[in-house]
Amino acid sequence: MNKTTVCILDDEVIVGDRLKPELEDEGYEVETFTDSSKALERVYQKCFDVVVTDLKMEGLDGMAFLEKVKEHCPQSEVIVITGYATMEVFRESFVKGAYEFIAKPFRLSEIRDAVKKAKKKVRRTNLIGSLKGRTK
Amino acid sequence: MGGLDKFFETIRKFVKGKKKDEIPFHDLFARFQQIIQKNNAAMEIIADMGSKTSGDFLFDNKYLVDSINQLEEHIRQNAYNLNVMANNRYLEIFEVVEELSKDLATNLSGKIVSRERKMIFFMDEIEDHMQDLVGPKAFNLSRVIKYTEANVPKGFVVTIGAFRNYMAYNNLFERIAELIEDFQEENITVESASDALRLMILGGDHLPEIRRGILAACKQIITSDREVYYYSIRSSAMAEGGDLSFAGLHDSFLNVPYGEVLSNYKKVMASLYNRASLEYRRKHKLFPMEMAMAVLCQEIVNSRVSGVLYTVDPSAPDQPECLLTAVWGLGNVVVESRSMADTYRVSRYPPHSILKENIPLKGWMTAPFEMGDGSEVSPERRAKPCLAAHEAAEIVKVSLMLERYFKQPLDVEWSLDQEGKLWILQARPMHITRPKHHLSSKLPEVLKDYRVLLANQGEIAYRGIGAGPVWKVEDKADLSLVPNGAVLVSRFGPPWLAEAIPRVSAVVTDIGSTTAHMATVARESMIPTLVGTGTATEVLTAGQEVTVDAIRNVIYEGRIPELLHHHLLTKGTFENTYEFRLLRRLLQRIAPLTLTDPEAPNFTVNNCRTIHDIMRFIHEKAIGVLTQYGKKPRSLIRLGGKRLKSDLPIDLMMIDIGGGFTKNVGKGEYIEPHQIASFPMKALWEGLSSPETWSTDPVNVDFKDMMSSLSRTQAAEVLGQVVPGVNLAVIGADYVNLNLRLGYHISAVDAGLGATIENNYIFFRFIGGVSDITQRSRRASLLMSILEQNGFKVKLTGDLVIARAIQLTEAQMNHHLCLIGKLLGFTRQLDVLLKSDGDIDIYFEKFMNSIMLNTTNQQIKEDGI
Repeated sequence: MNKTTVCILDDEVIVGDRLKPELEDEGYEVETFTDSSKALERVYQKCFDVVVTDLKMEGLDGMAFLEKVKEHCPQSEVIVITGYATMEVFRESFVKGAYEFIAKPFRLSEIRDAVKKAKKKVRRTNLIGSLKGRTK
Repeated sequence: MGGLDKFFETIRKFVKGKKKDEIPFHDLFARFQQIIQKNNAAMEIIADMGSKTSGDFLFDNKYLVDSINQLEEHIRQNAYNLNVMANNRYLEIFEVVEELSKDLATNLSGKIVSRERKMIFFMDEIEDHMQDLVGPKAFNLSRVIKYTEANVPKGFVVTIGAFRNYMAYNNLFERIAELIEDFQEENITVESASDALRLMILGGDHLPEIRRGILAACKQIITSDREVYYYSIRSSAMAEGGDLSFAGLHDSFLNVPYGEVLSNYKKVMASLYNRASLEYRRKHKLFPMEMAMAVLCQEIVNSRVSGVLYTVDPSAPDQPECLLTAVWGLGNVVVESRSMADTYRVSRYPPHSILKENIPLKGWMTAPFEMGDGSEVSPERRAKPCLAAHEAAEIVKVSLMLERYFKQPLDVEWSLDQEGKLWILQARPMHITRPKHHLSSKLPEVLKDYRVLLANQGEIAYRGIGAGPVWKVEDKADLSLVPNGAVLVSRFGPPWLAEAIPRVSAVVTDIGSTTAHMATVARESMIPTLVGTGTATEVLTAGQEVTVDAIRNVIYEGRIPELLHHHLLTKGTFENTYEFRLLRRLLQRIAPLTLTDPEAPNFTVNNCRTIHDIMRFIHEKAIGVLTQYGKKPRSLIRLGGKRLKSDLPIDLMMIDIGGGFTKNVGKGEYIEPHQIASFPMKALWEGLSSPETWSTDPVNVDFKDMMSSLSRTQAAEVLGQVVPGVNLAVIGADYVNLNLRLGYHISAVDAGLGATIENNYIFFRFIGGVSDITQRSRRASLLMSILEQNGFKVKLTGDLVIARAIQLTEAQMNHHLCLIGKLLGFTRQLDVLLKSDGDIDIYFEKFMNSIMLNTTNQQIKEDGI
């Protein structure tokens, strides 16, 4: 089976630096970005199974990034991580299609669990998709 | 500065407007309550920041900035509240707050801050937070001294502060900045820039006190009796932000005779502007960063063989092998690649056999205590291996012990002296990139073969992986027996456990929280720790080899070398991330409490060194304002104070700051015990008034004791201790501050409950008593044993006992306060009874048995412990 792919976008370097080895140890293939436009470029080349993104960033912000990801790769599951966790932001993220919302700072086990759940959902969606394809 | 002055001026004007002594009493209470609330909120932030040092969280710079801002906000408001309460008696506090705040802001901006005046430190004086003062090289070596048993030559560090002073003293800052600008704009070549910069530094004069300090320190570190003393002078360079090692860019000198130490100190400082260093900084765009140089000076080891050990082969990091190089004499020929060296591959696994060796002809060496460029190796030693198998094994064994402490592959410089004793000269983390084909994907497979003993029980107090034999500790006496590298397993996490933590490979407790003192120590010493597993002491057997995975929260049976090795190579170990180190630096200026005794003469605004100190100071002084009224019972009653009605011989006055009394309290002068609503006061009273407390057999105080007690009372008054005219309790629904004089003992209890467990605390201070100092000290020791046994952190100075317990559950608060109440009664006459040190144990037993046992058991059940 192919490895689950994860994209991490956060303008603070430490986020990618710490999450990458953490998620690699869980068996995922991980790419990290600090610049949202570069991350988007990559998403246009390749749809990741799971995308982890910060919200407040220079240039294209996380909310816009989330929208573009869901537009281009509807099957990708997006986990939003942010230090500005207000009810409003929380609601908006879900409206725009986020799968999970985690307020920073968080325990590493939280992100491990969230990615695991997202991975399962992606698998299920893909499976259903392929079954539907077959019946057609 | 103008802005700041204006700020103070505004405050002064504002507070001046009010007339003295016109603050209504209920306003005082409101202010006092605010102080307690804000202090609680601040404590919560501090505890939260502390928990982030466990490595189990991902936090970013924004988190740090936000936390600091909130913290400062609370402190500023409390500084204001106190001044309103105290008629502006403490205006200096604003300046202290602003100074600390500036310091924190500088830290957050990534600049190197040093508030330390001292400019020369002996290696064993360097503390955990001094990395920015002494530079990474000296700092790492000082950790080896503090936390491991490896031998390190005696030495001292001339700090980064001294470097700055040298620059300032010789007016070099501006000229250096100009030259560097020229170099950056390529107006001058690297050669001419470097030459000019170095000449500038070499041509400067030493500050007289530094010159004297260095020479005196040189003499102090000498252990041999040679005619001429020789030293090594090494660079310990530091960049702001501090993430770059600059290894090998700067100069170090060996065999420096006493008379040339000062000039070599200059040479090392000047090497900050070596060509290689300038090129490196241009290449990595580091010029906007401030650089500074600390210098390490050590006694030269009389080396027979020296060399370098890599605990992991950088080109094959997955292999369980170390790379060892060795030459005759001193090691500089290896480091500077001036001679061929023996190379060995040695197994990382005991007994650390040599797997492969290469022994070339070694032509050149530097002998110890020899000046000049070195000498030829004698013909009979040229082809001979420098190391015997057991020596290689010893070097590897000690280096791997250091690796366990640093939790990273290490580059270790070592020497074997003429007697064969091993010395560690440097220990530097190697930055190894984790190989592509890394074993992370294989890990789940590997782990399947190991039996899981515990999984997902409890919490990670410090992240990491440790393995070793299980060693169970039940009481304090067991501690000294705990072997190095063991896995320490304990039912509870009492503060006294801290003593053994730095030398074990992991800690596991059944009961405990990540915010307890023990967990803080585990984080400071970077020991993988799981707390609150519930059943570790039952599941794990003493002596059994286990691997504690405090990353995924699992304990495995057996040692899992793959897991340990994998963790070692994990790039970006959180301890090395900039944010993590910044957090630790910030906490150093926030969390420690250095002002512990409110009655000590050093309890002043200007001695507040941390945010916690300021909080404590404000709290104590606010209490002081309230208790002033206690000196005049009459005015106190007029203002709403009540006398407690009781059969006990205690005259206790109470003032309620809100919710301390039940609603049915009338306007009269008296209050009944059942009308106390304050949770902590109720608990204290329960202990204080329990029948056992007052049923102690009557004691005959002999004449000598009486005389002694009389003079004691006078002494206390002469010392100007705050003894209220009556016993006074300031109480609120969740708060108590009790000043009590029972017999000849003066005690103070301050306790409060906040929104979360993190905010719950008890502070207890006890002094005085009948009889001579020996007996009083005995009583203090007894108190200390009882309090420590119950989880208090206790400081004993002569016959002064200061005890603190923090982060308690409500049930524990109740229990501990009840205990203190009982202790107050119990110790009333105790010092007269304690005739010898042996009596301490007897009375300890007596107290624990007769009074404690039932309640403790009951309490433990209630706590679900």
